[in-house]
Amino acid sequence: MVNTNVFLEIGLNHYLVLSTVLFCLGMIGVLLRKNAIVMLMSIELMLNAVNISFIAFGKYNSNIDGQIMVFFVMTIAAAEAAVGLALAVSIFKRFKEVNIRFFEHLKG
Amino acid sequence: MTADAFLFWFLALSTVAGGVMVVSLTNPIYAALSLAFTMVSVAAVFVTLEAFFVAGVQLIVYAGAVMVLFVMVLMLFDLKHEVESFARGKVTGAIKLLAAGLLAGLLIGAILYSSSGELGSSAPQAAAQIDSTKTLGYRLFTQHIFAFEALGVLLLVIAVGVVALSRSKGGTHGKH
Amino acid sequence: MSQTALMSILLASPLIGFLINGFRRKHHSANVSGIIASVAVFISFVAAVLFWLELQGMAPESRSILVNYGSWMNVESLSINFGFLVDPLSSLMILIITGVGFLIHVFSIGYMHHDKNVAKYFAYLNFFIFNMLILVLGDSLVTLFVGWEGVGLASYLLIGFWFTDKEKASAGMKAFITNRIGDAAFLIGMFIFFVSFGTLNIQELNALAPTVAESTWLGVATLGTLFLFIGATGKSAQIPLYVWLPDAMAGPTPVSALIHAATMVTAGVYLIIRMNPVFLAAPNTMMVIAIIGVLTVVLAASIGITQNDIKKVLAYSTVSQLGYMFLACGVGAFTAAFFHLMTHAFFKALMFLGSGSVIHAMHEEQDIRKMGGLKKYLPWTHLTFMMGWLAILGTPGFSGFFSKDEILWMSWHSPLGHWSLWALGALGATMTAFYMTRLMALTFWGKSRVPKEIHPHESSPIMLFPLVVLAILSVVGGYVGIPHVIGAILPGHPENILAGWLGNIVKPIPGITEADAAMEWTLMGVSVGLATISAFIAYTLYVNKQEAVQSFTNKIKPVYELVYKKYLVDELYFGYIINPLVRLSENIWAYIDVRFIDRCTYWAGDLMKGGGSFVRSLQNGNLQSYAMYIGLGLVLTLTFVMMR
Repeated sequence: MVNTNVFLEIGLNHYLVLSTVLFCLGMIGVLLRKNAIVMLMSIELMLNAVNISFIAFGKYNSNIDGQIMVFFVMTIAAAEAAVGLALAVSIFKRFKEVNIRFFEHLKG
Repeated sequence: MTADAFLFWFLALSTVAGGVMVVSLTNPIYAALSLAFTMVSVAAVFVTLEAFFVAGVQLIVYAGAVMVLFVMVLMLFDLKHEVESFARGKVTGAIKLLAAGLLAGLLIGAILYSSSGELGSSAPQAAAQIDSTKTLGYRLFTQHIFAFEALGVLLLVIAVGVVALSRSKGGTHGKH
Repeated sequence: MSQTALMSILLASPLIGFLINGFRRKHHSANVSGIIASVAVFISFVAAVLFWLELQGMAPESRSILVNYGSWMNVESLSINFGFLVDPLSSLMILIITGVGFLIHVFSIGYMHHDKNVAKYFAYLNFFIFNMLILVLGDSLVTLFVGWEGVGLASYLLIGFWFTDKEKASAGMKAFITNRIGDAAFLIGMFIFFVSFGTLNIQELNALAPTVAESTWLGVATLGTLFLFIGATGKSAQIPLYVWLPDAMAGPTPVSALIHAATMVTAGVYLIIRMNPVFLAAPNTMMVIAIIGVLTVVLAASIGITQNDIKKVLAYSTVSQLGYMFLACGVGAFTAAFFHLMTHAFFKALMFLGSGSVIHAMHEEQDIRKMGGLKKYLPWTHLTFMMGWLAILGTPGFSGFFSKDEILWMSWHSPLGHWSLWALGALGATMTAFYMTRLMALTFWGKSRVPKEIHPHESSPIMLFPLVVLAILSVVGGYVGIPHVIGAILPGHPENILAGWLGNIVKPIPGITEADAAMEWTLMGVSVGLATISAFIAYTLYVNKQEAVQSFTNKIKPVYELVYKKYLVDELYFGYIINPLVRLSENIWAYIDVRFIDRCTYWAGDLMKGGGSFVRSLQNGNLQSYAMYIGLGLVLTLTFVMMR
């Protein structure tokens, strides 16, 4: 593959790399941010990154099932966002803040 | 071709920029707006991949419903600029960044390593899925009907659970 | 009465006595404790007599009663029963143990009158009797070994009875540890027999013993018997393990009489007599036994000449007399060995008890240089002690004469014997006469050197009664085994009763010839003559001419000192065996244990601790840290997949 073609001919790899970058950004957000709501947003980012790769694979394999999977993922993501936000509301009610350190009680 | 390439690079840039802003902006409202921007960009990416129905759902569900939910919660809390928005600890922070970077590098390496395979070379055949929405609906309601119904049940459970959770008076831990 | 019940009474009686006195060990009444213990042993004695009578009523070939209480262990081919065997040999042995034991118990009532722990003392004594009975009656080597260890324990406890005195406590430990060496060899011998014969039952072993004598040193019978003999040297105080016995005199004197003269120390001799068919199959072992025995005779007798402690003299005398028994065993004269065992039990127990009476009278003074002229204070003790003296001297007509001369004659005459064995034995007899006369002279005769503040007094009747009985036995005990050559000239030609009684137990020496009567008379005359001369010299020197003795010992001071210090054997053992061993152990401790093993364990512990605290720090409960671990794990997994 010639170097100029990398910019001009868009293929599966481009979408996959985009997906990877977005996924890792989301991961950094989850790992580093303290605000529980922002962490939830970062999770949405990661899910979107996965969706991109699903669609790309579906297209380049001529398989419609990729889109169906995205459909499911979106539903789950919406549900997860709802639960996560409900938890955030709970935390907020209690501590008047949504910092993740209030969840640091996972030690046995 | 050039138009397609331009479109991809533009969308990729806006998607990644939106992602970076979500992660880095300290005001949650700005982060939420950046996320909405990213969602729209991703929907556009879906369009370039000829998944029109999914792109529409992305706009309606994500950029619409979910983002509204986020923003509403944020408004409810009335959050100001955060004092402590990033995790403390420089070493662990570095390790976390390093882990994410390594993961990205490894994945990209893996993708490029397998790029000589037949996946990349198969050119998109637009004609084959010209009526993709119809096909999608058909497959969804025949082959995947069980999963679809299960999702419905799941959403019902979630709806009930969320209401119960937000009405409760707090967790199991005492006040700090 | 059934034999099982009789056996139960015989064994249980001292055990029950031990338990009763053990549980009332806080009581201080010597009379009550002593009567309980003595009655317990007396019941055993009666049972032993009944057994003996029962054997008397049987045909000579079938004189054996086996009481089996059931199976002890049964592991594949190893099968050991709680079996106890009464045959002519063990029946006599239990008679001696319970009989002499009873007399010594009675003596102890008087002797231990003032001791606070008298109940504990009698408990130990009964415990000893119980274990000794097990040792003697056990029908397998394992059962015998139980008793063997049990008497060792009782001996340790009784030597260290006054354990608040550090020296006495360490004497007990010395006895115990020295015996352990022998016991290890005993165990090895047992293993050898089990591996090669497949049984540890004594009668089966005797039946399986090779009929053709082994000529090699590495044969099964030779090796096994050699190890058993090493075990016997530990228990019976022979070279090289005799060193514990003189120190064992730290215990109460009746204990010395019972355990360290009459019974326990003869266990080794008993073992050899018990297994005589096996030992006869190993001429090399027999040779070793004879040489060790005769060397012990001479060595111990020579040390005995120089000692000044009345009990030490008797202790070395015991070692020496045990040497005679081993000499007899070594030349195949097992009957003679047992005969001497029996007569020695009488006269040595008598002399120990007599010395106990003297010590009692002298208020715990044991140094014979501070005695002298005690004859007029202690007439009964003197009289009975003199019977023992005459017996050990081998005065014709007294018991020691018959047994000792039988041994000396057999060491000359037996095909396994040698004239040098006889010569050394006769030398030993001469020295015995010398030191025993010296002991008599310094203790009872001559001028009194008793310090003014001590007023010797005759012992109470309860202590004199055993002395009298033992004195009578010492005089007449020899008449059960009158040698053939003497019997021939006596009116009525009395037979050797003991030899007849043990006839089915003791195998005859292979290749023994008809005794040459003239030769036997000559040898007898020579040894008796030598003993008489030596006794006379000793009498003259120590009663009348003590200055001469002083000047003579000064002239040969280096030699005298060497003998007085027991040939420095203890120092030798300490210098070349014990101290290097201790140093080696210390080095091993300091270098290998402290510097290596300990460090390794500490290091391992620190590693675990550090690792634990590290892992604990990972479990910090921080959600994001956990997420990071997931990410890191993903990275590692992917790396691994990619590397493939």
